[in-house]
Amino acid sequence: MRWNAANKRYNVRVIWLSLLYAAFLLFAVYGFKHHLLHGPMAYVAAILPALPIIGIFGAMGRYLIEEKDEYVRMLMVRQTLWASAFALSLATIWGFLESFELVGHIESYYVAVLWFGGLGVGSVMNKLTLGAAVKC
Amino acid sequence: MFASKQSDFTPAQKAHTRRVLWLLLVYAVVLPPLVWIRATASVAGYIPLLMAIVASLPVLGMFASWGRYLSDETDEYHQSLTLRRIAIATNATMGAAVVWGFLQAFGVMPLVEAYWIPFVWVIMQGTSGLIAFLSRGRVAA
Repeated sequence: MRWNAANKRYNVRVIWLSLLYAAFLLFAVYGFKHHLLHGPMAYVAAILPALPIIGIFGAMGRYLIEEKDEYVRMLMVRQTLWASAFALSLATIWGFLESFELVGHIESYYVAVLWFGGLGVGSVMNKLTLGAAVKC
Repeated sequence: MFASKQSDFTPAQKAHTRRVLWLLLVYAVVLPPLVWIRATASVAGYIPLLMAIVASLPVLGMFASWGRYLSDETDEYHQSLTLRRIAIATNATMGAAVVWGFLQAFGVMPLVEAYWIPFVWVIMQGTSGLIAFLSRGRVAA
């Protein structure tokens, strides 16, 4: 499958956002490690690395709007649905395991990590059920 | 007027609502004894693990019900509205999870149980549904 214009724009956005994420994360980690951040500044610095990741979710939404090929869009929608089901289901199970004190607490951004992993699950499901997968 | 609004539901929506109500009932019946057992009795081995999984099953069923609804829904307009609602709820929930996660990672906010994230997602869905329902009433009026 060749990349179309919407795919290319999505990839460019994700690359820029990933670079921004790396920069913000380094800044925040350095700041917290050297105890440079206090008060409201600590909140701002902690939220900064989250913003590019939210931007990646936005980029995916933008891709779905810009994608002209309805079949490819449908595949991507299915993939994101699988990702949501995967991430939310594992978060539910993990939450109850935490609640019953069987596992430790984890940072909630791991659910977003699971969601991105779930895109892979969605891709496999698309391949298995429809014989096709989106390449992004 | 209310009766006419009820009849606006598609068969797939009715089936989904019925499934979710049953699952909520199961959840309400199953959770309290599990919490009580965990708090009062000394259970060990694989039993607590099974208890945690049993408690989460009705919630997983609700997610499956959404998927089932999307494949059952023959009205493309309703299907696209639901997809839109899921996309908004998922983006908002993941956004909140990421922000909260970094606040936790840098020690600014406390760690919480992960099921709060699906809870936020369900609340977002419910809120969107309520807004859609209320605005439909306003349009009809």
